[in-house]
Amino acid sequence: MTDARTAIVRDLEPVRPLRSPSVRALTLAPLAAAIMLAVPLLHFFRPDLRAIGFVRAWGFSIGQSLAGLIIVAAALRESIPGRALSRAALAWTFGIGIAVPAVLLGLTASTFDLGPGPGRALRDGIVCFRASALGAVPVLIASAVLVARAFPLRPAVAGALYGLGCGLIADAGLRLFCGFSQPQHVLLAHGGAMAASVALGALAATVTASR
Amino acid sequence: MAPDAKSDGGRLDRSERELVELMQGYLDGRVDAFDRLHAALAGRLRGYLRSQCRDAALADDLLQDTFMQIHRSRRTYEPGRPVTPWAFAIARHVYLMHARSTGRRLRFEDRVAADVKAGDIARDGLQAMVDGDEVRRALRGVPPHQRRALLLHHIDGWSFGEIAARLGIRVNAAKTRAFRGMKKMRERLHGHFSRERETRRAGRSDGVRRSGGRR
Repeated sequence: MTDARTAIVRDLEPVRPLRSPSVRALTLAPLAAAIMLAVPLLHFFRPDLRAIGFVRAWGFSIGQSLAGLIIVAAALRESIPGRALSRAALAWTFGIGIAVPAVLLGLTASTFDLGPGPGRALRDGIVCFRASALGAVPVLIASAVLVARAFPLRPAVAGALYGLGCGLIADAGLRLFCGFSQPQHVLLAHGGAMAASVALGALAATVTASR
Repeated sequence: MAPDAKSDGGRLDRSERELVELMQGYLDGRVDAFDRLHAALAGRLRGYLRSQCRDAALADDLLQDTFMQIHRSRRTYEPGRPVTPWAFAIARHVYLMHARSTGRRLRFEDRVAADVKAGDIARDGLQAMVDGDEVRRALRGVPPHQRRALLLHHIDGWSFGEIAARLGIRVNAAKTRAFRGMKKMRERLHGHFSRERETRRAGRSDGVRRSGGRR
């Protein structure tokens, strides 16, 4: 132990422990709110915004954003040694992360046949995918920094978790902009952007942890 | 994995409460708190590492690495929470990283052995290897900072934790330097062996004339 002890004692100085995962996740709340607003503001608000009502439009989006922040908090917890999530907890978290936008879509849409016009499916899909995926990037970077300051023992898992949370946050803004409810559009464009966010998070955390 | 840190009702037991206090002292930068924390944890961590690697000497090395890693990531400890699961999770990670890098190194050495076996290396080439000329030449081609980590680990048998402490770098950086140095060595030695093979092949096709010429 002599060598390690010498090195440790030489380097010993007071350090301030990291704040709890929930407090650190809350620091992302302003950014999450900004992203939720920026996605529709940079494009336009969905035409039926008034028709669906305040709760189903803004209330649900705020709720989805909060769900995203909770999942980011779970990722921050996962990145603390000894506090890793169990397999069951991980399965529940991912399940809830996927279910939230689906349930909110079910509660918001009156029919599920509203989609892009003929010949516009690909173009509109790309617009939604890009808006959501790019919207997730700022909060993804901020989450990656928070996770990297801790010590994730399973970086890919922590990264996939915060990627999912960030995907949810960006999708909360997207649902204020895109009123389409057609399953193939929602699955491919909206779900695809969330999947991309999960993959990007896992990759970013793995790369950061290996350095 | 880790011993249970809580008694009934989710409250910390007495020994764990002491560890929590010592950990707080350690976070405050107190050497005595670190020493007592080390004394309280080292035995159990060593036992755990020994049960994983089944090698007492290696377990001691890994214990040092574990305490180095605990030191580096001490700010991730949440005050008031049990110390034992946190420390054991780090020990487990250190062991897994070691097992992974050992596996990688063994595969690398197997590949080198297979290359040597399959490569039909000339006897005089092997003799040159034994003499160390080629190895020394290849070693000279490795950047100094990588060469130092490589020699400390592979020749002097230092653990990566010790190398990191000695060179004032992170353990991962020490591993990376040694690994990259070894990779460069391999590339250079491989180039040497390839040339040897070509020379031999050329010698075989033109053997009579060449051997006659030498005589």
